[in-house]
Amino acid sequence: MHEPASAPRTLRSGFLRSLAAFPERVALEVDGEALSYAELGARAGGVAETLRRHVPAGGPRLTAVFGQRSSGVYAGVLAALLRGDGYVPLNPAFPAERTRAMLERSGCRAVIVDEHGAKRLLEVLEGVERKLVLLLPHEADVSAFEAALPRHAWLGRDALERPGADALEPVDPNGIAYLLFTSGSTGIPKGVMVAHRNVVPFIDAMVARYAISERDRFSQTFDLTFDLSVFDLFVAWERGARVCVPTQAQKMLPQKYVTQSELTVWFSVPSTGALMNRLRMLKPGQYPSLRWSLFCGEALPGEIAAAWAAAAPGSTLENLYGPTELTIACTLYRWDPERSPAECEQGVVPIGEPYPDMRVLVADEALREVPPGEVGELLMTGPQLSLGYLDDPEKTAAAFVTPPGRSEVYYRTGDRVRSNDGRRPMVYLGRMDSQIKIQGYRVELGEIEAAIREEAGVDVAVAVGWPRNELGGADGVIGFVAGGALAPERVRERVAARLPAYMAPREIRAVSEFPLNANGKVDRKALLALLAGAK
Amino acid sequence: MSETEIRERLRGWILERSGATGERLASDDLPILEEGLLSSLDIVEFILFIESLRGEEVDIEAIEPEVFTNVNTLYKAFFAGVAH
Repeated sequence: MHEPASAPRTLRSGFLRSLAAFPERVALEVDGEALSYAELGARAGGVAETLRRHVPAGGPRLTAVFGQRSSGVYAGVLAALLRGDGYVPLNPAFPAERTRAMLERSGCRAVIVDEHGAKRLLEVLEGVERKLVLLLPHEADVSAFEAALPRHAWLGRDALERPGADALEPVDPNGIAYLLFTSGSTGIPKGVMVAHRNVVPFIDAMVARYAISERDRFSQTFDLTFDLSVFDLFVAWERGARVCVPTQAQKMLPQKYVTQSELTVWFSVPSTGALMNRLRMLKPGQYPSLRWSLFCGEALPGEIAAAWAAAAPGSTLENLYGPTELTIACTLYRWDPERSPAECEQGVVPIGEPYPDMRVLVADEALREVPPGEVGELLMTGPQLSLGYLDDPEKTAAAFVTPPGRSEVYYRTGDRVRSNDGRRPMVYLGRMDSQIKIQGYRVELGEIEAAIREEAGVDVAVAVGWPRNELGGADGVIGFVAGGALAPERVRERVAARLPAYMAPREIRAVSEFPLNANGKVDRKALLALLAGAK
Repeated sequence: MSETEIRERLRGWILERSGATGERLASDDLPILEEGLLSSLDIVEFILFIESLRGEEVDIEAIEPEVFTNVNTLYKAFFAGVAH
């Protein structure tokens, strides 16, 4: 199983090269199991070959992977890529209705399922008309699934093929490497299509910057539905390093995870750093094994960066920034204990400079560049600019724009920044819209409001991020409704059943009427003040 | 606080936070992480809650991740010897 030397580089290329160079080295530690590159490659190759034989040609080149933190799910991701497809990660912890919608919209005709996904599978497939090939490599007997939903083709462990010995079919670098769904303001998640040609430059930049080698041991804190997980897996596998997946229990005590797994590369949302700081897990010198400490996904408070840098004194700390549409991360800032505290603004670490081949435009409402040091919306372009939103030309056109006087398409991040003025690096100042971050996840409050409106049967519902946290974001969401026949707690239960746990409102409050601002719009600040007053 | 009360308070906190009904946590042996009743999103507040029940700080370094397996392991790790 190899690629011809002339094949263009794609997301799978690094793994295949490491497989040839370091077959016996451990590629993945998960659930107490350590899989070498040869073992992981063989598992993925077998699944890929089974898909090749059973999934008819034609249709979108995408395969879904339904599972979580198991060897099967990582092998599944690789299998999709080895087959020449992009992968679509689906999380069994998400509500079935949401997962079903993603599966249907992706057009996938095959789904690789692990033991966690199998428990939710029948629920997810309820009402799915398109005939699917369901591959459950861990399952000895799929007859019960077959009996329940005979319209689909079910393949268990017995159906697994041996990995093909031939050269793999070349993959189009313009094809989709992965399709990820992010929260959508109108109530429907958006599918972001990221091509191989977008992600390969990112991996190259990271491998070179961090001098990754086969001796490195990477954290894997991100769910596969979160694009930052692409760093964890594919930057590590590009150079024969080891990916260490925490157990669920280790996620509760991340300090044990770092030390027990002897991690050398840490990558997480700042929320995890904040959590560790609050639980007294950032003691000076506590993490001597780390050589890189990377954060991304939300604003990084200077206080957390300083505490982390002291806890991992042998590591260099960097703050990365980037939306999914610009492929994982596209700017970075290196923390310097001497200089950086003075460069923080509003207590937040700068997002710094763009990656070498990415270009920044900080613009006003008319998308014209603001003078250096002024505040505006951040737009970016370059090789990491993704393909846009699946089957949504309207939203793609709104977000992927050609600013006046420019010839290239830029992505409008919706993030408010103060541009670099030559003395001070670029700083993230907040959102232009009502999107918030919860544990690094993008949450469009509009999506939650749409769910509340539908479940409560009201015309207006409002969601706000609450309680506020030290990162300038929120730890959760509170919803408000005026009127409606259903009890607020019942509405909350119904909304929670539709949304991932991090988006589900902690509470729905009934108000007699919404406070309005001078423009006649719902005054969100007044609602936040109401919550603050009730503390 | 008695052992029974502490266990009830632990179950109550977990159920309230997860929004689950009482039947979901019928046994103190139920694996609360695997069942999605507790997650890393809850850890800070959960530790603070445990500290408020104990009336003293938890020595984070002294505990192993496995204490979060179920209510029994939680009770044993944080409250055995504290209850009366």
